[in-house]
Amino acid sequence: MDYIPTTEKDRKEMLNLIGVGSINDLVSEFNPVLTSKLELPKPKSELELIQHMKGLAQKNKVLRCFAGAGSYNHYIPSAIGHLLTRGDLFTGYTPYQAEISQGTLQAMYEFQSFMCLLTGMDVANASLYEGSSALAEAALLSCSYTGRNHIFVKGGLHPQYLEVLKTYCEGAELVLTDRVDSNTACVIAQNPDFYGNVENLQHLSEQAHRVGALFVACVVEPTSLAVLEPPGNYGADMVAGEGQSFGIPLSFGGPYLGFMAVKSFLLKKLPGRICGMTTDSRGNRGFVLTFQAREQHIRRERATSNITTNQALMALASTIYLALMGRSGLTRVAKLSYARAHLLNGKLAELGFKNMNSKPFYNEFVVNVPGSAEALTSKLLEKGILGGVNLGDNDLLVCCTEMNSVQDIDDFVSVAAGD
Amino acid sequence: MILFLSQQVIEMKIIFEYEEENSRHLQDEDISIELPSNLVRKELPIPDISEVNVVRHFTNLSRMNFGVDVGFYPLGSCTMKYNPRVNEDAARLEGFSNLHPLSPEECAQGSLQLMWELKEYLKEIAGMDDFSLQPSAGAQGELLGTMIAKAYFRFKGEKRTKAIIPDSAHGTNPATASMCKLETITIPSDKRGNMDLNKFKESLDPEVALVMLTNPNTFGLFDENTLKISDLAHKNGTLMYCDGANMNALLGITRPGDQGFDMIHLNLHKTFSTPHGGGGPGAGVLGVKSFLADYLPIPRVVKHDGRYSLDYTKRKSVGRVRSFYGNFGMHVRAYSYINSWGTNIRKVSEHAVLNANYLQSLLKDTFELAYDRRCAHEFVLSSKKFGEKSALNIAKRLMDYGFHPPTIYFPLVVPEALMIEPTETESKETLDKFAMTLKKVASEIRESPEVVRQSPLTTPVGRLDEVAAARRPNLRWQPSSKSNQSDRQ
Repeated sequence: MDYIPTTEKDRKEMLNLIGVGSINDLVSEFNPVLTSKLELPKPKSELELIQHMKGLAQKNKVLRCFAGAGSYNHYIPSAIGHLLTRGDLFTGYTPYQAEISQGTLQAMYEFQSFMCLLTGMDVANASLYEGSSALAEAALLSCSYTGRNHIFVKGGLHPQYLEVLKTYCEGAELVLTDRVDSNTACVIAQNPDFYGNVENLQHLSEQAHRVGALFVACVVEPTSLAVLEPPGNYGADMVAGEGQSFGIPLSFGGPYLGFMAVKSFLLKKLPGRICGMTTDSRGNRGFVLTFQAREQHIRRERATSNITTNQALMALASTIYLALMGRSGLTRVAKLSYARAHLLNGKLAELGFKNMNSKPFYNEFVVNVPGSAEALTSKLLEKGILGGVNLGDNDLLVCCTEMNSVQDIDDFVSVAAGD
Repeated sequence: MILFLSQQVIEMKIIFEYEEENSRHLQDEDISIELPSNLVRKELPIPDISEVNVVRHFTNLSRMNFGVDVGFYPLGSCTMKYNPRVNEDAARLEGFSNLHPLSPEECAQGSLQLMWELKEYLKEIAGMDDFSLQPSAGAQGELLGTMIAKAYFRFKGEKRTKAIIPDSAHGTNPATASMCKLETITIPSDKRGNMDLNKFKESLDPEVALVMLTNPNTFGLFDENTLKISDLAHKNGTLMYCDGANMNALLGITRPGDQGFDMIHLNLHKTFSTPHGGGGPGAGVLGVKSFLADYLPIPRVVKHDGRYSLDYTKRKSVGRVRSFYGNFGMHVRAYSYINSWGTNIRKVSEHAVLNANYLQSLLKDTFELAYDRRCAHEFVLSSKKFGEKSALNIAKRLMDYGFHPPTIYFPLVVPEALMIEPTETESKETLDKFAMTLKKVASEIRESPEVVRQSPLTTPVGRLDEVAAARRPNLRWQPSSKSNQSDRQ
């Protein structure tokens, strides 16, 4: 394939005007110049290319999915793909020139609004990379706001999120501690937690606020927000997490959608892009990037974060998702996910699988497998079922969404029963 | 006839302003949530809108937007090249898009093979010994690189607290250094747009952990002293970090690894043509020399006896910077793009450099060049002779002629800067038209300044009041019942 329109005739005219004899003369100062061709594959035609790509994709095996753990298999309405691939949206970049970027900007404003409504916060940014680094950014923000450098994490945080938090803390010279005191910048709690447990965290936010710390709620399965109390109602100052459930494919772990929403007193510390409504020279409503003085291209070493490129297209996908689903559709997804998970849990209980959840759960739960969890997931695999995530000690983390039909659940159960 | 800049008024509602409509979703009467009432949400203030109105809403939003598919987009430093559609098809193949990241390795051989091979290609292209595909964007690649530098010196028992960064660097470089508690030493540029070598030598003390260079730099110039700088840094025990945002100039011509860099991040959404998506997703993969490979994040994709797997062995790894394995969908597109070019990939950079130098030759007499040298893949003009705010006014007027403006007021050290990156996918005809238009706008500034000051005249909205946006922030829609309540602390 060749995506260069320049003809031999063009090339000669261009080199003449520049005043050089060849392209090599233009690049001769890029030292040290390579003397041989790179060792790369043979060039491919579009036909050869797509056949090659299909061959690779076919080496993967997509299973009936009962795994969650930070990546949720929800249905993606058809219209999203059609709208998302409109070239005027997906081939643009960060809307620095607002007059010709109103589409991207208004969608950002709508995304920010959806996130605020779902979380019960005052303001949201236009997206971060994905859930775990969004949570790490929330920890950095807490430290910058409070002038403290200790971070407390409640148990039940997604283990990969904890790893990322540790990496960022090491880099930024912050400390993860196991107590809440006057050095604590923030208290972090995931809800529903990694094991699916749902809890009202009012007591924890009060504990944080008593010592002057911020309370950060982490949401990894955001469809839960359709039916669960928004974190703003139990005292969260910030909500950070993952938006992948809203119309974004599993895609082997990315691109996903980090988000952060905060109470208004934290606005000036918020990392990332923020879109605001304003008026134009003709008196009409319009949208711009605002509070850019927080950002790296202006503030440089004093910026609130280094983030630049974010996940704009994924934020757009989730905005379209939320608009298409609406209150009724979103509630249905949440209720179905809840109902299917409870159905499966109930049927497994009848087989003697002990539920290990310490609290009520939403759409993910832990069962202790009588016998070997590994043997069970292998047997499920033979039936084309991804049975969940093995946590060790024969504990299995199982997830359901509206995608898991009653038939799928029956198939899971019959394998578990050894039928 | 310019299609995009239609004067047709589209009356755009915000999605929350639509009237409630019948929901398209079935309701299952028998599903109830049996949770304690203090866990359950009381109201969900999200509207139900019909599918047709949602589709029209976002279709009309897209009509108010400019992308590479709409027209020439010479936004300097961003490499806005054409995004081949076949790569989109590849990323949407069921086997890639529907695969759960925690699928067993035997069910993910295609994805793992793709990641492993992409890593091999990037090693070859950048002259590095290993790569991590984990970072989600360039800035996260920088963050990872800086964390690795810190960990490396910690293991060696050296205390180094500074980063040397030229004044032409992207703002992300100093912002990243600060996130890692390194002090930024800013070095000015010399008369040819290189980092000032004497000032650099004076600042290079035993406390300097790393030198962060963008090469070619943000003036679009290949630093003529790169090898000398690397040599001096290494003699001082300092690591060389390359911000590879401008790799589009160098493919198959020269390799940062051969220039003495110890680490580099590559922006897959720039050089390797994954779409910019209105601001992302990107991917900021990080390459390192072998002595730093043990510090890369886990898991690493490895190959044994033709089988691919994820290796969680910690070694000296700094840990994870994100969940799972990176922006895999972007890996697919970049892999597909590299496979289409294959051994011919040098042609990309040759034409990126040709187009930039051609456009520079067409424009350098009308404006002033920041540095009068041959450029790499982009160049910086100054419009200061056309007065204050001329770069802004030129940018706005260009929209009336159907072009996306260049990057303006960056690099910060050039007054009234216009940073122009044409990329290799544009034809001579497009470049000629753009140059002619830019000259026309320059003459309009003198002959009809009022028109230019009021531009753009043909876009869906006119110039926007940014001061008001910041002074009276309206950052979200408020449900009307709540609009008068204060829920602020």
